[in-house]
Amino acid sequence: MYWVAGGFIFRRVGSPFHSLDPRVKLLISAELFVVSLTAYSVTQLAVVMGVMLCIAAVAKILKRVGRTLVFSAGFSVFIFVINLFARQSLLTSAIYSVRFLAIIISTSLFFITTSPDELEQVMKSAHLPRDVVFAFTTAVRFIPVLMLDAIQIVDAQKSRGLEVEKGNLIKRVRKMVPVLIPLVVNSVIRSGELAEAMESRAYGAVPRPTSLNRYSSSKRDKLVAAGSLILFIITVYIYVRFPTPL
Amino acid sequence: MGEIVRVENLSFRYPEAAKFAVRDFELTIKGGEIVMLAGPSGCGKSTLLRTVNGLIPHMYTGEYLGSVSVGDHKVSEARMSELAQTVGLLFQNPENQIFMFSVERDIAFGLENLAVPPDEIRARVDEAMRQLGITDLAQRAPHELSDGQKQRVALAGVIVMRPRLIILDEPTSLLDPKTAVELVELVRRLRDETGITFLIVEHRLELLVRIADRLVVMSEGKKVLDGRPEEILADERAEAYGISIPPVSRLRNQLKRDGLPLENGFGPDELAEELNRQALKR
Repeated sequence: MYWVAGGFIFRRVGSPFHSLDPRVKLLISAELFVVSLTAYSVTQLAVVMGVMLCIAAVAKILKRVGRTLVFSAGFSVFIFVINLFARQSLLTSAIYSVRFLAIIISTSLFFITTSPDELEQVMKSAHLPRDVVFAFTTAVRFIPVLMLDAIQIVDAQKSRGLEVEKGNLIKRVRKMVPVLIPLVVNSVIRSGELAEAMESRAYGAVPRPTSLNRYSSSKRDKLVAAGSLILFIITVYIYVRFPTPL
Repeated sequence: MGEIVRVENLSFRYPEAAKFAVRDFELTIKGGEIVMLAGPSGCGKSTLLRTVNGLIPHMYTGEYLGSVSVGDHKVSEARMSELAQTVGLLFQNPENQIFMFSVERDIAFGLENLAVPPDEIRARVDEAMRQLGITDLAQRAPHELSDGQKQRVALAGVIVMRPRLIILDEPTSLLDPKTAVELVELVRRLRDETGITFLIVEHRLELLVRIADRLVVMSEGKKVLDGRPEEILADERAEAYGISIPPVSRLRNQLKRDGLPLENGFGPDELAEELNRQALKR
């Protein structure tokens, strides 16, 4: 499970795609999302998937995208089966399930290559309220901490005789109660200390805080953004101009 | 240096609590002093710290009597953002005061909140990282740091605000002995280089008494002893108030009671030297 979850977590990698302005990465990801969502033929989906895998290769994240696909494969099969039950043709069901995978890749391209700090900058540049941005970044920041807490609590309860892996699904869920209660209590205590630390470091002192890092788009960022926009427009034109499956 | 903290006749009781957590407390601290605050768990140390940095009464309400002044501010009347530039608080668990995903962003957090211009933030963050020897950690994420490194990052986040007083709440409780000694040396160096005043709550007295100018002992919300650390550790009442006297100080006290004319000191080396001198005299 950790192997799969690791596919979604950001890691610093030196690649041309990682070093792009996060807003440009968001633009590319959004364009790929729309193109994946509106693709209606096998050929179109194959081309979109091919482009995304090329980007993943440039960004040196092919393996991690692979993990994301492993994680999503179950859902994809589920979509395929549901569509078959809904009396869709084999081809249509396959298109729906592959489209789902394409959408997952388009979003994970952004999240795997963008640090939480950059995400914060993107949210700030979208003029989201400061509290919303801070809540988001703090939540992301504390994911590893809570994971570690959970592992320690599970180990502690196991050492006291709790057999988490035994029994049927209902029994296993019940056995998670002695893990969840201390985890929630820990988190509540932690949130109290966080609130104190925020107050002690002048959180909310001014309505418009400044930022250590200022992101400015370079010539390369602008070129990549313009290129992706042109390709996006051409793709949309093809979709509209040739509505029948290619 | 002049006085930086003045606590006058302070009493505080949390809502619904039967007893006052802090009672009739008086304390003054001069600029540049390192003052240790000791006492058994639940004696009101953490409450006192929160009255000095303003979390009480600004964040925690309750029955608040008396007054606390820090620098030019009367704590109950100043805004938290003003106090944040005068008093820094380092919590027991540094994990809970690191918000951002990279070390340098986290150190900048307080300055960003005060809308300090980015160029000035950059200069002050770099200076704080240099002072604490963590420049090479600038881009690291918090979960990639050891406990000792997290402690330094959290301290850098406090120092970057250029406070006149830094409060440390049991700073060594999560650290191994070697890292704890390094932190104590860091505190001494910062005081000597910058003149910052420190108010430190600590149970491991043997670590900090060497650098402290004063040791204040609390019991049941009251100040019961206040003096030079060597005097307090030699005072027979200290143990009765729940203070854990370091073994070397305990041995020194016993030898003095047995009639050896020893001076007040802390370390085993000092004691051994004195005993050698006494033996040679005889």
